[in-house]
Amino acid sequence: MTNKKITVRIQRFNPDTDQKPYLQDFEVELAQGMTILDALHLIKEDLDGSVTFRRSCRHAICGSCAMNVNGQNMLVCETPLREKIDKNGQITIRPLPYLPIIKDLVVDRSSFWAQYQRVKPWLIPPDNVPEKEFRMSAEEVAALNDAEHCIMCGACYSACQVIALNKQYIGPHALLKAFLRVLDPRDADPRARLDDLDKGDGVYRCHTIFNCIDACPKGLNPTKAIETLRKLAMKRQAFEAARKERQKTLDKPVN
Amino acid sequence: MNKSANVITHDVIVVGAGLAGTWAAMIASREGVTDVGVLSKLHPLRSHSGAAQGGIAGALNNVRPVPDTGPRGPLEQIPPGDDLIDSWELHMFDTIKGSDWLGDQDAIEIMVKDAIDIVYTYEHMGCVFSRTPDGRIAQRRFGGHSAPRANYAADWTGHVLLHTTHEQALKNGVKFYSEWVALDLIVEDNVCKGVIAMEMQTGQLVTMRAKAVMFGTGGYGRAWKITSNAIANTGDGVAIVYNAGVPLMDMEFVQFHPTGLYQHGILMSEACRGEGGYLRNKDGDRFMEKYAPDKMELAPRDLVSRSEQTEIDEGRGIGDDGQGIYLDMTHLGREKILERLPQVRDIALNFVGVDIIDDLCPIQPTAHYSMGGIPANANGQVIANAAGDPVVGLYAAGECACISVHGANRLGTNSLLDASVFGRRSGYAIAEFIKGGAALPEIEGDHLTRTQARITRLKSDPASGKGENWAKIARELKQTMTDDCGIFRSDEGLRRALQKVKELQGRFANAHVMDKSNRFNTDVLGAIETENLLTFSEVIVSSALARTESRGAHSRTDHTKRDDEDWLKHTMAHKTDDGTPELSYKGVNIDWEKYPPQERKY
Ligand SMILES: Cc1cc2nc3c(=O)[nH]c(=O)nc-3n(C[C@H](O)[C@H](O)[C@H](O)COP(=O)(O)OP(=O)(O)OC[C@H]3O[C@@H](n4cnc5c(N)ncnc54)[C@H](O)[C@@H]3O)c2cc1C
Ligand code: SF4
Ligand code: FES
Repeated sequence: MTNKKITVRIQRFNPDTDQKPYLQDFEVELAQGMTILDALHLIKEDLDGSVTFRRSCRHAICGSCAMNVNGQNMLVCETPLREKIDKNGQITIRPLPYLPIIKDLVVDRSSFWAQYQRVKPWLIPPDNVPEKEFRMSAEEVAALNDAEHCIMCGACYSACQVIALNKQYIGPHALLKAFLRVLDPRDADPRARLDDLDKGDGVYRCHTIFNCIDACPKGLNPTKAIETLRKLAMKRQAFEAARKERQKTLDKPVN
Repeated sequence: MNKSANVITHDVIVVGAGLAGTWAAMIASREGVTDVGVLSKLHPLRSHSGAAQGGIAGALNNVRPVPDTGPRGPLEQIPPGDDLIDSWELHMFDTIKGSDWLGDQDAIEIMVKDAIDIVYTYEHMGCVFSRTPDGRIAQRRFGGHSAPRANYAADWTGHVLLHTTHEQALKNGVKFYSEWVALDLIVEDNVCKGVIAMEMQTGQLVTMRAKAVMFGTGGYGRAWKITSNAIANTGDGVAIVYNAGVPLMDMEFVQFHPTGLYQHGILMSEACRGEGGYLRNKDGDRFMEKYAPDKMELAPRDLVSRSEQTEIDEGRGIGDDGQGIYLDMTHLGREKILERLPQVRDIALNFVGVDIIDDLCPIQPTAHYSMGGIPANANGQVIANAAGDPVVGLYAAGECACISVHGANRLGTNSLLDASVFGRRSGYAIAEFIKGGAALPEIEGDHLTRTQARITRLKSDPASGKGENWAKIARELKQTMTDDCGIFRSDEGLRRALQKVKELQGRFANAHVMDKSNRFNTDVLGAIETENLLTFSEVIVSSALARTESRGAHSRTDHTKRDDEDWLKHTMAHKTDDGTPELSYKGVNIDWEKYPPQERKY
């Protein structure tokens, strides 16, 4: 394969010294199997050490490297560079939109984490904790799988039109987390959670625009989770009763 | 917390927010120590514990092999009332054997006994584990374990454990300093007094004072070119502690995982083989028949990686450079792969364009786990010497520590366990220490100025013609460690490596950064991480050079046998005044009645 030169356009911004963000072009040679993150590293190490971005695991599990590439949010560590080059041999990398910029591609996710904490992401266990494990069925686990798999990368959050206008909205990631706890048969207080999620900045703020689904690199579906939470909020009394019933047998075999 | 200019004070400071650090913080706070600060150079949820895939060990006795189906047959849940197949004793023996008898047996006993409780505790805290048909925690096989005792959540076990533990710490009101980097440790007269840290967002240096400091800074596979470790796994903790005069233990023992993705090093979980995957050379042969006829692909990692490397060295590798091997999962079937190995399937698809359901996946050995580290006892208390005298107020657990439960080779799923169990025990020990009336020690020297000078030097313009990019130095180091301090080692290669590391250390004195700003300066961070790599790599190479035997993951082509007479002992490396390590040795805790050293055969 002959190596082809491509242009990586990176949005630069250091609030201490720059008036506003600007694009800077770097040339790199496209090598086989190169990811966008590989290109960023090459640029940083060889061309301009001040290019600033976050990354760690480099295989789509730590959630550090969500950025906006050619207008789409994605994890740059798992995305092949080749796939995102346009016909002019260019690729444009910007930070996640709608969030304050700390420097270059590094954004301030404080509001994102504040909402995550606001939904009390921890499990509230029932009083009768068994000596061994709580028993859960394969179906109960499967219902939680998606939500459990969220890596808190923020791609959905920063693609959400509602968040763009209103940082009080809990947001897709935190609602997905709330879903995880509400649906977990081991959680003893789904009622209180639903009461909270049902308020002004909760589930009804979602306008089902589906941007979060398109943005999610893990193929998760926060919109569906939000819809489920809405339905459960409407019949929260029955849901609470069913949970109480289920918790009586949490220490018993499911089959 | 008490804050004045450039000084922050807590009762306890934990460096690292992976499983080890988070457990310690969570327990200390629950035990009534309200003033706990955790600093992490990554956001806590980005810690590398979250990348662990396969499982966490614990003899729960939930499943067993279907009778008469052989060592690789299907598993089934153990019906209530039926005979149990597993026990902590068995787990203990497997771990000792896996360690090639270098693990301290008293510590191992504590770990395997605690294993059962810690897995149930995780479940009670909300971890969504995979399940058996009757709703118990699902278990799978893992190499070197004689029973299926890897408790798992699909193939994102570490992710689930990390998120759950972090949530519990938040619930307890632990204060997290996210994206704060520890740069130096303050130890005076054998008393630990705090750390010097940098807040990434502002670049400001701060002295963090505390009555107790705990390190849970994780692994350091980044000294090699091909590694499964996250980019942040640069061994800062071990280097910082070593620079402060604390020894490092058993650093020569580094595990190479048999199945890193070819040319990327990204991990394809051992669960691939646990679920029944085969290894094949370029001729399609299942070569493990030759090396471990009994356990085959599920022999322990050191052995499988050596077997792969031998196949590669003898010309039976695959790929452009002949450095690869095939991982074959095509016989497992779509359904099993999608249910149990969804993440590794995506990884192979994204990075090498192979769908493991239909095709052979190219892999190669990858630097994975560091058995050595900061020496600590089973309460996480760091020790200052072979006699076991403590460094007052200093604790360590997780991959950066050496307790030593893994000895010369760790078994898969035992490290999430190690980080959890000893993180938790450190938390209790720290709480006891604080509640016992520990005072806040006064700091004598001006440590912050010294650290500041390092950064100023990196940012200053180099004398003309002398300056060098740190990234180049890092690349050369990784190449050297791969070539001369990898799976197979020799006197000649290690001497070459030592010389090269010293040369690179010399060159680092003129290394500089391009980014001169204060705000979120990852260029400075990269340089400091490189300096850390250079610091501990010298210890690894020196310790490996001295150990003239082959044991566990340390394999010498010029000393191919294990030598219990001379080498059944832990290496301790102290930094001397001229910067080079001085080696001494510490006995191994062995129950000679119950678990005397045997030949290690699989
Ligand atoms: C890909 C992969 C898969 C694995 N799978 C398994 C498995 O299935 N089962 C198993 O048992 N083990 C597995 N392991 C090993 C296991 O995951 C690790 O050994 C374990 O998670 C280490 O936990 P820790 O808490 O010690 O460190 P980590 O989770 O790595 O955390 C280190 C923390 O220290 C912080 N830190 C580091 N340096 C600094 C600094 N200078 N200043 C401030 N903070 C700092 C980081 O930000 C981070 O928060 C796997 C390892 C890898 C690489
Ligand atoms: S839902 Fe998807 S996009 Fe949103 S934070 Fe989680 S993994 Fe990222
Ligand atoms: S670097 Fe971890 S998700 Fe991309």
